Amino acid sequence: MLQHFTYLAPKTRAELHSVLANEGAAASLLAGGTDLLVNVRAGLVHPKVVVDTKKVEDFAGIAWSERDGLVIYASATINAVLGDAKIRSDFPLLIACAHDLASHQIRNRATVIGNVVNASPCADMAPALLCLGAHAVISSKRGEREVSFSAFFKGVKRTAVAPDEVVERVVVPAASAGGRGGYYKLKRINGHDLGIVGVALCIDRGGEMRLTVGSCAPTPVLIDGLEASLPADAVVAKVLAAISPISDVRATKEYRSHMVEYYVRRLLDEVRS
Amino acid sequence: MKIRVTINGALYEREAPETINLLHFLREYVGLTGTKEGCGGGECGACTVLLDGHAVNSCLVLAAEVDGKSVRTIEGEADDGQPSALQQAFAKRHAVQCGFCSPGVVMSARALIERNPKPNVEEIKEGLEGNFCRCTGYVQIIEAVLEATGQEASTQERSDA
Repeated sequence: MLQHFTYLAPKTRAELHSVLANEGAAASLLAGGTDLLVNVRAGLVHPKVVVDTKKVEDFAGIAWSERDGLVIYASATINAVLGDAKIRSDFPLLIACAHDLASHQIRNRATVIGNVVNASPCADMAPALLCLGAHAVISSKRGEREVSFSAFFKGVKRTAVAPDEVVERVVVPAASAGGRGGYYKLKRINGHDLGIVGVALCIDRGGEMRLTVGSCAPTPVLIDGLEASLPADAVVAKVLAAISPISDVRATKEYRSHMVEYYVRRLLDEVRS
Repeated sequence: MKIRVTINGALYEREAPETINLLHFLREYVGLTGTKEGCGGGECGACTVLLDGHAVNSCLVLAAEVDGKSVRTIEGEADDGQPSALQQAFAKRHAVQCGFCSPGVVMSARALIERNPKPNVEEIKEGLEGNFCRCTGYVQIIEAVLEATGQEASTQERSDA
């Protein structure tokens, strides 16, 4: 038995916004539940109200258009991303990151947006969304606003989302389609494990190279605006200057730095060849 | 709250707390104890069931979320007391030792076979990566899935599982 809470499943945005406006921080949003229910069970969070967002109309699915880009809605699971034909053909970095997230069972429930709003430094979807220049569309009773992922993460488990707000969708710009990219995550076992370090790299059609490093700072770190042809030593130097790894139970900072360099060089070889 | 859910083809209606997860709902309110609780936190896969055909960890799903949906558990595998071909392959290939993980492994394998009728060894490993077995060492489990899908199961590298 889990701790006590009230379960609500609003069917419209307006209903959801009202619940959040009334309950604020006493409400926890439930999308896939693969983080929330673990935290509830462990007693790390004590929501008064658990608000299931999966029944909200207009929160389902993944859409693509040249005008709006790639839109991933709040209820879209990781396996929905992996099964989407447009993402498979034009967003290889999203596929690589989604593929590395946890296990098949978790990917059937976990959502892209749930992964980023939890704001773990090792969140697998953050590197892809940062590298691809995506933004979040956040709404509340007060209105709607857009926040770029480069301004989204505020610290370990902290984001730009206020307690009365919900991330409705993420938008990957159409200009990021057709780029090249890859992702490596160091972990002890396949399946589910917290990443020790993660490195994503993409080169868009315009020739800009961007990298994101996970698990090496309080938030995922984006290094952007690089020329696609920049020599590997210079790329490594820029990346290592941007991160601030610590030693903890999973690895030392020296090992993390070493593996980040290794993955950067490997990705440069693979993505640029 | 009242929860209505179709389990292995039969409709169940139960009054249960809204805080209960699907795993405990199945075990304590429906009496289907084949689904096991291992870690209770989505790591081990012992509690795997199919929710609308997709493998999920039933410990990480609230019973309230499955109201109106369809669930399949290990009890739905056998047909009139006769083990399914998948279960028979697990027995034949010695893919069961203590057996605690087996209901979850079989349900993950079931979901895998339904989306990919002839999975290769890599696909089997990926499909079952969310299921821990601490006895068999996985080789026999992989062979059982190969066997159940009509594939040669004895030529696999025993060391790379």
